[in-house]
Formats: sequence, C-alpha cells, structure tokens
Amino acid sequence: MNTENIESQDLFEFAAYDELESEHIAAPRYSYWKSVWRTFFKNKFTVCVAVLLVIIVTFALIQPLHSGYSPINTPNINNSELKFLKPSAEHIFGTDHVGNEVFDAVWAGARNSIIISFTCTAINMLVGIPIGALWGFSKRMDKWMIEVYNVVSNVPFLLLAMILSYVLGAGMRSLIITMTCTEWIFVAYFIRTQVMIIRDREYNMASKCLGTSTWTMIVKNILPYLISVIMTYVSRQIPNLISYEVFLSYMGLGLGTTNASLGQSISMYTSYMNGYPHLFWIPVGVLAISSFSLYIVGQKLADAADPRTHM
Amino acid sequence: MSTTNEDREVILSIKHVDISFDVGHKKKFYAVKDANFDIYKGETFALVGESGSGKTTLGRAIMRINPCSAGEIDFEGKRISGAISHEEDRNVVRNIQMIFQDPAASLNERATIEYCVSEGLYNFHLYKDEDERIAKVDKALQDVGLLPEHKSRYPHEFSGGQRQRVGIARAMIMDPKFIVADEPISALDVSIRAQVLNLMNKLKAEKNLTYLFIAHDLSVVRFIADRIAVIHLGEIVEIADSETLFLYPLHPYTISLLSSVPMPDPIVERTRRHIDYDPSQLEQTDEKRELREIRPGHFVFATKHEFEGYETKLRGLEAERAAL
Repeated sequence: MNTENIESQDLFEFAAYDELESEHIAAPRYSYWKSVWRTFFKNKFTVCVAVLLVIIVTFALIQPLHSGYSPINTPNINNSELKFLKPSAEHIFGTDHVGNEVFDAVWAGARNSIIISFTCTAINMLVGIPIGALWGFSKRMDKWMIEVYNVVSNVPFLLLAMILSYVLGAGMRSLIITMTCTEWIFVAYFIRTQVMIIRDREYNMASKCLGTSTWTMIVKNILPYLISVIMTYVSRQIPNLISYEVFLSYMGLGLGTTNASLGQSISMYTSYMNGYPHLFWIPVGVLAISSFSLYIVGQKLADAADPRTHM
Repeated sequence: MSTTNEDREVILSIKHVDISFDVGHKKKFYAVKDANFDIYKGETFALVGESGSGKTTLGRAIMRINPCSAGEIDFEGKRISGAISHEEDRNVVRNIQMIFQDPAASLNERATIEYCVSEGLYNFHLYKDEDERIAKVDKALQDVGLLPEHKSRYPHEFSGGQRQRVGIARAMIMDPKFIVADEPISALDVSIRAQVLNLMNKLKAEKNLTYLFIAHDLSVVRFIADRIAVIHLGEIVEIADSETLFLYPLHPYTISLLSSVPMPDPIVERTRRHIDYDPSQLEQTDEKRELREIRPGHFVFATKHEFEGYETKLRGLEAERAAL
C-alpha cells in the first residue's frame, strides 16, 4: 500500500506514556475501621438491634441507681394491696409477692448480670488472647500448655462454682472469679488454633526474615487477622456468661440473696408462675432480649470486621 | 567467564548440606542431599530444578527457616547454620534478604505499604528520626518504580507486579549484600516478568548485590544468571557458567531439562524434540556419585566411569563447535 497519498493527520501517532503516571492508584483511600463501620451501619436491622442494645444497657446501668432496689429491702411487705399487681401505667411491670416493683427488680438484676458478663469477658479475653497467641507461636510452650489445658478444661464447672462459692462466699467477686478462673484457657486454646492456622503463611516468614520479634509479629501480623473471629467469640461469650450467671443464681450459687440478679428473680418468681405468670415471663423476656441483641450486634460487628465484606 | 573461580571472593558457601524432614516414626525424607557449592561475590547464581527438587528448601535453609541436618552454610567465612550468637544472627538478617515467590501471600494484608517496607528499619532502628525513616521508605519505593503516595495504601490495592516490587523494596531497604530470590517471577504475569527482572538487574548493579536466583524456567535463568546449578531430587547434578551449561550440557537430566525449553519460533518449535530423563541410562552401581570438575568451573555429578564418558562426550562437543 502506498502511504504517501495518505494525509499526515490521518496517520496514527505514538501517544505520550508516563511510566510513573501508570503506577498511580485512582481508587479512593482504603481505611479499615471506616469500612468496618460503613458495612455495619449499612444494614437497617442491625442498626435497630444496636439501638435497642444501647437502650437496654444504658437503662440497666442508670435505672437501678435511681430506684435503689435491693431484694432485702421490702417496705411494702405488709401492704397486701400492693402485692401481685398486674402491669399497668402506674406499675409498669406490676408488683411481686412482697409488694416491690418488678420493673426495679428486673433492671437491678439486668445491671448486675451485664456488669458481671462484661467484666468476665474482658478478663478472659485480656488473659486468654496474649497467652493463646504465644501458645500458638511457640512449639515448646505448646508441649506443656496442652497438658495444662487437658487438666483445667476437664474440671467440672458446676463443681468448681460450688466449691468457690462455699470458700469465698456468695457475691460479685466470687462469681467473677468462678467465671474467669478456668474460662480463660478456652479462649487461649481457641486463639492458639487460629494462630497456628496463619502462623506459617508466607508473610509471616517474610517478617521472620526481616528479624521481626515474635511479639511484634503477634501484634502486627496475627491479631489484625483475628479481629473478626475474636469478635465472633466475644459475641457468643457475653450472652453465654449472662446465662451462666442466671443459671448459677438460680441454683443459689450466684450473687446471694442480698444482691439483685435476673437469675434470682426468675428462681424467686417461678413459684408464682401459675397464678401470676407475668412475674416469671418479664425477667425471662428481658434476659432473652438483652442476650439476643448482644449476640446479633456482636455477630454483625464480626461480619463487618472481615474485610471480605468491604467490597 | 575468563576469570577463574579461584581468585574471586566467596560470599556464601554451602558445605555438604543435607536437609531432611521427619516423616513418621524414625523415617526421614531427604529434601537436599550433600549440596556443596560456593557463590561468589557479585554474581547471580541460579538454582534450577523441577517442582519438589529441593531448590526452595535449600533457599530457605540459607534464610535459616529450615535447619540443616548435616553440613554447614557459611556467609563471608562465618557459619550461619545451626545455633549462632544473637549479634551474628542480627548481622545475618541484615545482610541476607529474601524475595518471595508469591507476591499475593508475602505481604501483610492488614498493614500499609509504609509499614511493610519499614518493618526491617523498625527492627534494626536504622533511622535517626521519623523524617529519615519516611525519606528512606520514599527512596526505596522510588528505586523500584513506585510512588511515595503509595505509602498509605494496602497491599490488596496493588497489581501483582507492583506487590512484587514492594517485596523487593522491603528487602532492599536493609542494604543487604546477598539476596535469595525464590522464583520471584513465576507467580507474575508474563507481561511484567521482564520489568521485575530488569529491576533486579538494575539494583544488582547499583548496590553491588549477589543473588541466589531460584527458578524452574530455564529461558529466564539464561537471561539473568552468571552460573547455574541444576538440582534434581535433592542432588545437584551439574554446575557451570550459564553459557557453558547451555552449550555443553553433560548430565542426562540437564540435557532433558534444556530440551524442554519452548522455542518462540513456531518452525523450530515444531521440530523440537523433548528428551526424557531416564535414570536407568546412568551406570547402575553402588559407587557413590560426587560432583567432579570436568573443566574449570564446570562440575558434573558422576561416578568415575560416567565421568570418563562425559569427558569423551565433552571433547566431541567441543570439537564439533570448533569446526563450525
């Protein structure tokens, strides 16, 4: 073909090409925590449950301070007109067998349950995660830790709770000790398994080749990957501990008769279930709703913490 | 090639190294058997072999990820395998760095590029203040053709070639003397392999580096390596200058490996015949094979009898070439 007849403006020209410009990333900057919150708040149902949870927790923490409820304080015990009242505008949840407001009893109980479960979860996590991370990293530590785990994890929980409540007496302190003294090792074991899964990945080998210490590797390489699974664990642990507390209080091993507790309210009101079912169902309902919302919010946070959902 | 190997400075020396793994009760699998070679300062030494031949294992033994079960590895005349003092350990970490095979797996996905690249600086406190560290990171990124603005990005935002260059920047910021490159381009797209190889060559010249280049792709090795060792089932079967190895391959396994290189010319490719490696064509004997020097710098793994056969063959090949 003869190219001389073609007008010069019809010919292709080489485009200018800037090598550095081609390295430029046009996508907006990625921020991990911003993406977590964005994913979390995208779901309307989750937001509703989160709002419900915030209301329950704030109410449980503040209302008892206002009412000053205590199960041994029974000013209306001789006033039969104030006993066993049905829920009404004046008595929102009704009154119980000693003439106390069920509303006050339930929130005082919820407050103790929530404080205990949050404290115990925090202690278990703070102890269990660092130990579990080191346990997963060190083959030498694994040899003896696994034996410790075998022994400790086989101690029957109820037996331990009974002995501790006899030795230390009933109360919040002994209950917290009961629910943390063996529970942390389950957290540690769970973290150990997770660490072992990602311990030998290539990027950890690269860190090792760069002379990074084990502890820095745990903090920078391992734990950021475990945020999501830890969140899942926490979201199961908090409601679990609430039900533990309720169960132990129901068995009479919990907070003792001087402290309000959901478990105690439930056990106390069980005997009136036939005549006044609201006495039983209201504390059970509050327990169920708070456990449920804690669990849902935790699960959704765990999902949002997984970067695969950030797309 | 004309310089004899004797008057060159040895930087890394592998001395009769065995690497074994326990498989079941009292059973051992030898991934590397009696590896014995030197790497000279300033060269690119390639270790070539098929999958499972032990080349990565040997590379990792140099990085001290896999322990040697026998023999020793010396770096600049000092033993680095087995138990060594803390100071020596720090020294070795600074001077021997690795480029990993899979750029998708070898960067911490939850850390920014800034952290990935400065990790070594943090570990050794190789900076006076924050400004100097940032300047060093910027420089390292620019050296590999990336932009300082990439510092705040996460690895998943980059392409494979860019990530591999981040991996190279991370190793180079330590100012190492020796780099183990474990198949640095086999996970990359064909179109950017040359880019990474050219970068490695550029950095080698600028920083006076020595590479151990682990690969299975012979066409790449020919381009980048000064000397090549061929490894098969944990045994090093031939070591030679790259031109010599391509011109006069002696061991049947080397010949088979070279015959498997595809040709970009369709006419040549059609007539190319792959030679299968058949271990039964070797002498069947109980005599222990060893690496024997057939020409200066050209070693072949053989028994005494086989060695004589290779000698005759080599003389034939040389005569053939001289006649051309």
